[in-house]
Amino acid sequence: MTRALVLAAHPVPDSFNAALHAKTVATLEGRGWDVDDCDLYAEGFDPVMTEVERRGYHDYPENTESVKTHVERLKAADALILVFPVWNFGFPAILKGYLDRVFLPGVSFVIKNDKVAPNLTKVRRLAAVTTYGGTRLRAIGAGDPPRKCVTRAIWHVCRPRSMKYLALYGMNAASDAKRARFLTHVGAQLETF
Amino acid sequence: MRALIVFCHPKTDSFSGAVLETVKARLDAAQAEYRVRDLYRSNFSPVLTGHELDIYLDEAANTEPVAQDVADLQWADTLIFVYPTWWYGLPAMLKGWLDRVLVPGVAFIMPKDGEDIRPGLTNIKRLGVFTTCGASWWLTTLIGAPGKRTLTRGVRAICAKGCRTFYAAHHLMDSSSPESRAKHLDRVGQTMDRLTA
Repeated sequence: MTRALVLAAHPVPDSFNAALHAKTVATLEGRGWDVDDCDLYAEGFDPVMTEVERRGYHDYPENTESVKTHVERLKAADALILVFPVWNFGFPAILKGYLDRVFLPGVSFVIKNDKVAPNLTKVRRLAAVTTYGGTRLRAIGAGDPPRKCVTRAIWHVCRPRSMKYLALYGMNAASDAKRARFLTHVGAQLETF
Repeated sequence: MRALIVFCHPKTDSFSGAVLETVKARLDAAQAEYRVRDLYRSNFSPVLTGHELDIYLDEAANTEPVAQDVADLQWADTLIFVYPTWWYGLPAMLKGWLDRVLVPGVAFIMPKDGEDIRPGLTNIKRLGVFTTCGASWWLTTLIGAPGKRTLTRGVRAICAKGCRTFYAAHHLMDSSSPESRAKHLDRVGQTMDRLTA
């Protein structure tokens, strides 16, 4: 059975992002997948890498000590799905801190001769479900950092067989109908990926 | 010149700390005023809360949780970031400073019908970005340098029109040598000299 880790990063339970999160989990469970639903806000995840963690960053496996459970959940995943809003041209800090603290050397990547080699190749499917306040053009103008982080940086350590980046732009001005269409689109895309 | 330096590193004896000292020394030499926001030493909380999101659009209330940061931002004409690049991006601590402090009414003006978002930090005329990367220049460029772009394109877009950008990064930090680090501090100094000129 495919085991999926869903990482969600929105603080408000009745937000549109929470609806996307619920849709994601329901769709994947509907496919018969074993879904590990990790709501970073609800779980009170601390995104701040400490001084001790920074000093021991490269020493695997000791570096996983403070985030052991999260590392085990990540290592068990065959599919990784991120659900988040784009704030200030990037991930919310709570999700960025997950990369800082859990995507460690020896866990998500290994360094060989100064080169980053993938170490999360168990993840065969990678997806992001996200909303941007501004327009697509504005995101492109800024170099679209969150898209690059998912489709290049995270992609690079997973080398998935299948990847989806599902984004709704212009959230600030989006009508209810546009949001509903995106919600349906997300369901359909996750049904087949 | 009035510079706000946002400094983010968990270690007190880090190379980023040495970069910060170089930046401060050059500001002193240029007789510039500056304030340092040391996020780790002041235990800044980078997690935007549900409550803050509820009041996000309320410009009378949204600055209240971060009043000093907003005052510093509005006082400055120069904004400088000193931080390590982690996962090609900003450390969560620094990303969260953007999330919580760059609120509507301060950082950008929310659109009325049919308009686009307008810049709010029009008092910021110079932007300095000083970082260290574990990855090589090639890999960082291939990934698209999301951290650098968040600041030099994203944040710059809400600063004054024609805001000048200054950037210096030390790559392959994990295999750096005393020589490479000294060379980089020279580069930081030269970049700062251009910024303060």
